[in-house]
Amino acid sequence: MGSVRPYLQFARLAFQRRATYRLANWSGVAVNFFFLLVHAQVLTGFFRARGNASGWSANDAVLYFAASESLLMVIGIFPDFRYNLAERVRTGEIVSDLVRPVTLVWRELAERYGTGAHYLVTRAPAVFAAGWLVYGLLPPLRWELALFPLSLALAIAVSAGLWFLACSSAFWRESASGEMSAIVFVNTFLGGVFVPLDFYPPLMRLAADALPFRATLYTPVAILAGKLSGGELAFGLLHQVVWVAALALLASRLESRGLRRLAIQGG
Amino acid sequence: MGNAVRLYLRLASASLRSHMQYRGTFALRSIVDFGVIVSDLAPIWVLARYFGNLDGWSFAELALLYGMVATSWGIVEVTLRGFENFSMYLVRGDLDRLLLRPRSVILQVAAHDFEFRKLARIAQALVVLALASATLGLGVTSLGWVALGIAGGTLCFAGIVMLGASAAFWTLGETSELQNILTYGGSAALSYPVSIYTTWFRRVITYGVPLAFVNYFPALAALGRTESAGWPRAMPWLSPFVCSAALFVGMASFSRGLRRYESSGS
Repeated sequence: MGSVRPYLQFARLAFQRRATYRLANWSGVAVNFFFLLVHAQVLTGFFRARGNASGWSANDAVLYFAASESLLMVIGIFPDFRYNLAERVRTGEIVSDLVRPVTLVWRELAERYGTGAHYLVTRAPAVFAAGWLVYGLLPPLRWELALFPLSLALAIAVSAGLWFLACSSAFWRESASGEMSAIVFVNTFLGGVFVPLDFYPPLMRLAADALPFRATLYTPVAILAGKLSGGELAFGLLHQVVWVAALALLASRLESRGLRRLAIQGG
Repeated sequence: MGNAVRLYLRLASASLRSHMQYRGTFALRSIVDFGVIVSDLAPIWVLARYFGNLDGWSFAELALLYGMVATSWGIVEVTLRGFENFSMYLVRGDLDRLLLRPRSVILQVAAHDFEFRKLARIAQALVVLALASATLGLGVTSLGWVALGIAGGTLCFAGIVMLGASAAFWTLGETSELQNILTYGGSAALSYPVSIYTTWFRRVITYGVPLAFVNYFPALAALGRTESAGWPRAMPWLSPFVCSAALFVGMASFSRGLRRYESSGS
C-alpha cells in the first residue's frame, strides 16, 4: 500500500471536485427531499391499513426514509457514469495511475471517502433538516446510535468495493456501464432503498441478508432510525465487516489480474 | 411534417450506429435495463404483499399505475434523451454545431442521443401493463382510457424534459438534477394512487405540475373507481388537454431560452 499521504490527497481532491458545484448540490438536496416525501407518504399510506407491523410504526418508516435519503449520496448508491475507473481504463487515462506509487483499490476507496465526506457535511444535514421540519422526527437517543459512525464508514467501504468490482470488468471488456446499472438496480432493491428489509418475504430476506447489498444502505440507516438492536445489530455490523474483507480481497485480485490484461494504445 | 419525421429517423439511426460500436455493452445494457422492474416494481409488490392493499388499491391496480407511467416515461426517455443531456451539449459547445444546420433545433436535440437500449424499459412496462390488464379483466373502454393516459403522459413528460433543458440556458446545467424531481421522482410518486398523498402535495402534483393527469385520472376512469378525495367527474377527460398544455409550455420555454442563447465563443 505504501505511504498514506497520496491517498489523503486523493480523498481531498475528490472532496473538492464535488464542492465546486454549489448550485448542483442544492438541486440534489431538492431531489432527495422529494423522494423522502414520496416514500414517507407511501409507507404512511400502507400503514393506515395496519397500525403496527414487524415492530415498525409509520413514524419509524418516515425516520428510516429521512435517514436513507440523507445518506444515499454519502454512501454512494449511485455511481458517476461519466468519470470512474472504467472510463479511465477505456480512455487510457489509467496510465497516469500506473506511474504513481498507489494501488487502484486503495485510491478508489480514498476517493469514495472524500466524496462521502463532502456529502456528509453538505447534502446529509440539509436533507435531514428538511425532513425534520416537515415531520419533526429525530433519531431516538440510545447507546446503539454510537455505532452509527462505524457502520457508515463500513458502508462506504462496501459501496467502494462494489463499484470497483463493476468497473474492473472494463479491463476485459470495452465498458462497464451495464455492470454498473445492474448494481444500481440490485442495490436499490436488496439494499432497502424503497422498502426497509423488515417487510420482505422470508426467502428474499434471506437473500438480502446473505448478499453484500444490505451492508451499503440498510444497516447504517436502520441503526440511525433506531430499528437495529441486540442480535440484529451485532449481525448487521458483522455482516458489514465480513463483506468489507471479502470485497477488499476480491478487488485486489481483480486489480492485479486486470492490470496484467491491460493494453494501452499509444497515439 | 413528413420531412421532419424522415430527418428524425435519420438522426436516430446515426445514434444507433454509434451505440452499435460497442455491441457487447449494448446487449448487456439492454438486458440490464429490463431489470428496472426489480428496483421499481418489486418494492411495490413487497409492500402490497405485506400490507394487503394501499387505500383499497390491490397490487394489480398499483401495477396498472406503474405500467402506465413507466410506458410514457420510457417513450420519452428513448425518443427525447437529448433534452435530458442538453446541459452537457450547452456547456461543451455542441449546441453551436446544431444551430449551424438549417433544420429545427428541437428536432435535432430530440434525436441527438436516441437510446435504443432503453427500449427494454418500455418493453418491461408493456409486459406489466398486459399482465395487470389481464388480471383486472379490463374491457375495451378501459383499455382505451389506459392508452389515452399513456399518450397524455408522453406529452406531459416531453414538456417536462424540455422545460428542464431550457433551464440550462440560464444556469448552465448546474440545476440539471432538478428535473429529476419531476421525471424520476414523478414516476416514483405516480406508481401509487394520488389519493394517498397529503392535501398540499396532492394539489402540487395535480394543479402545479399536472402529473396526476398522466396516469391517475385516466386509471380512475379505466377502473371505474370513485375516490374519497372527491374529484370532479370530468378530470379524466381533461387529461389530453392538460398534458398537451404541458408540452406547449415546455416547447415555448425552450424556444425562449434558445433566443437568448449566446455562445461562449471559446
